[in-house]
Amino acid sequence: MTVTPAVVEEEPTKKGLSFKLPLDETEMGLVAGIVAAIVLVFTGLPAVIKGIALILAFLWGMDSVRKTSKYGLGTGVPSIGVLATGFGVVGALVGLALAKYGSIEGVAYPAVLVGAILMGVIGLVAGILSNHEKVIAMKIPRLERAMMELGMAGTLIILLECSIVTGSLNFDAVVNQVLNTGLIAFMFIFTCFGLLHPYNACLGPDENRERTRMVAVEITGLICAFLGFAMIILSSSSWALWNGVSLLIFGVAVWAYFFWLFIKACMDEAYETVGTGMIKTIE
Amino acid sequence: MGLIVVLLFAWMLVIAFLAFLACTFEDLESDMGSQSNPNSQVQLAAQIGQVNRFFNKAISGEPLSNAMYCATAGTIAWLLLLKLEPLVPGEEWKAAVLAIPIGVAVAAAINIIFSMTAHCGRTAAQKRFEQPIYLDVLYGHLLPIATHAFMTTFFITCIAYIQCNLGTLSGNPALNHPFALPLLGFIWGITVGAIGSSTGDVHYGAEREFQDRPFGEGKRVVYHGKITRYAECGVRTQRDIAGFCAKFGGPITGMTFGLIILFENWRSLVGMQLGGYLPNLAASAGNSAVTWAIVMGLIIVIALAVVNYVFVRWVRKKCGPFVGV
Repeated sequence: MTVTPAVVEEEPTKKGLSFKLPLDETEMGLVAGIVAAIVLVFTGLPAVIKGIALILAFLWGMDSVRKTSKYGLGTGVPSIGVLATGFGVVGALVGLALAKYGSIEGVAYPAVLVGAILMGVIGLVAGILSNHEKVIAMKIPRLERAMMELGMAGTLIILLECSIVTGSLNFDAVVNQVLNTGLIAFMFIFTCFGLLHPYNACLGPDENRERTRMVAVEITGLICAFLGFAMIILSSSSWALWNGVSLLIFGVAVWAYFFWLFIKACMDEAYETVGTGMIKTIE
Repeated sequence: MGLIVVLLFAWMLVIAFLAFLACTFEDLESDMGSQSNPNSQVQLAAQIGQVNRFFNKAISGEPLSNAMYCATAGTIAWLLLLKLEPLVPGEEWKAAVLAIPIGVAVAAAINIIFSMTAHCGRTAAQKRFEQPIYLDVLYGHLLPIATHAFMTTFFITCIAYIQCNLGTLSGNPALNHPFALPLLGFIWGITVGAIGSSTGDVHYGAEREFQDRPFGEGKRVVYHGKITRYAECGVRTQRDIAGFCAKFGGPITGMTFGLIILFENWRSLVGMQLGGYLPNLAASAGNSAVTWAIVMGLIIVIALAVVNYVFVRWVRKKCGPFVGV
């Protein structure tokens, strides 16, 4: 009988930042955070660019969920994803409430990043409290950093999705087009799944980061396709219509390619892929 | 009693019936794909050497995954309704007849995508336990799972649609639900998943898998892997588990959810009626309506507690004693 091995700490293979592909977790966080923040501030960019930033932000969030959940048994992964999204919604509301300060209407909203930073601080405090000897003392390695990243990635993701649908980060516009219409329910649940499903679906002793990343990109493709469809229906100008059409095509293409890639990788890397067969007999 | 009140009660009964059907199919869907609690058994089996032919549908817990299907269906249906309703003025139901099934079909497609990634990913991550990916297991389970999810999502989306238009349907537009369709789908999805998970899983485990053990015995982990391997005849797959659970576990889960919806809405409506809030929605009668509703709720809870107590005593006397108590 095989015994489940204890979780093995991944040995860092390189020191410092080298930015060689594939990016490691720290580099991924830096790249995703900076790109997503820049794209988020300039809301006039085409939706496809925002979609690419969304993919990066999801990869970052997926890495943080993976880091946090690695020491659990598998039942805690969904809750970490939902926690990140909860951070994200609160951070997004804070950011949107502050968006009008220092903004150029319809072009740039630098103040929304305050929401992301605030959630980073709150996540850090939550992580420190959970790990601290005298409070909860969970003693999970690197939890503080992972929780901080969860808060920031979640906020950036929700804000990017709002920015894709409304085309601006004006508080009233977002409330009218995202919250009142109920699109927020869709965004909330799919952001949850974009964060939790990659690691949850690939969970096991032979999980590897490359396969997990493919699922994150695939789900982001699905989100882009749906948001593109919503933009087409809700569009009031031809700019919004073409934005929606391009985002829909982009999303479907990304989804199809990475879905195929992931299933193929799984079938190649599994113990065996057989058409059918009996189960192994145990003496 | 005015016509509006009769119509409100009638629609409440329709919603309770749809909830019954929705939760029945929800439970069968989770049994078929081994989601939520039963999934830990499938996940564990290979790790303790019991290679199996089960479908490992690890799409988080049932509340979240059902919220996802229902929110997707609600969003697509709502977007289509936005475009279709102006085409048929005065006969908006025609738009709903087209929009709801399309939205639900999209949700079922999402279900297939997530099931496939979960099964392949989790099986590939169990390489060292020599668990292969059986393609016939993969393809053979996708459609049954998606079909059950289609039924659940369809009924839930119908409930959300009825709630959204309850006022229009019963004659007083002020009674329309203030929430949008996707938001209602989301809330109902979480609810149906929670009930399906809490009630349904008990029957999945206790009925099907441990029939040879004494009633009420605690189970050692060593047994857990075994239940995924052999059925009464041949190698076990989850399609026969769904067939088995459809006889009792599914309907009983549906009944739980249906009764919750029925009692909850019934006590609110009776409270409104007794407090004088219906049929004119007199704002001054709000407080007395709420008081009556709370009193009705307390009476129902006490009655249920007494019935439960008597029933459990009778069962223990008839089938007991519990092993290990």
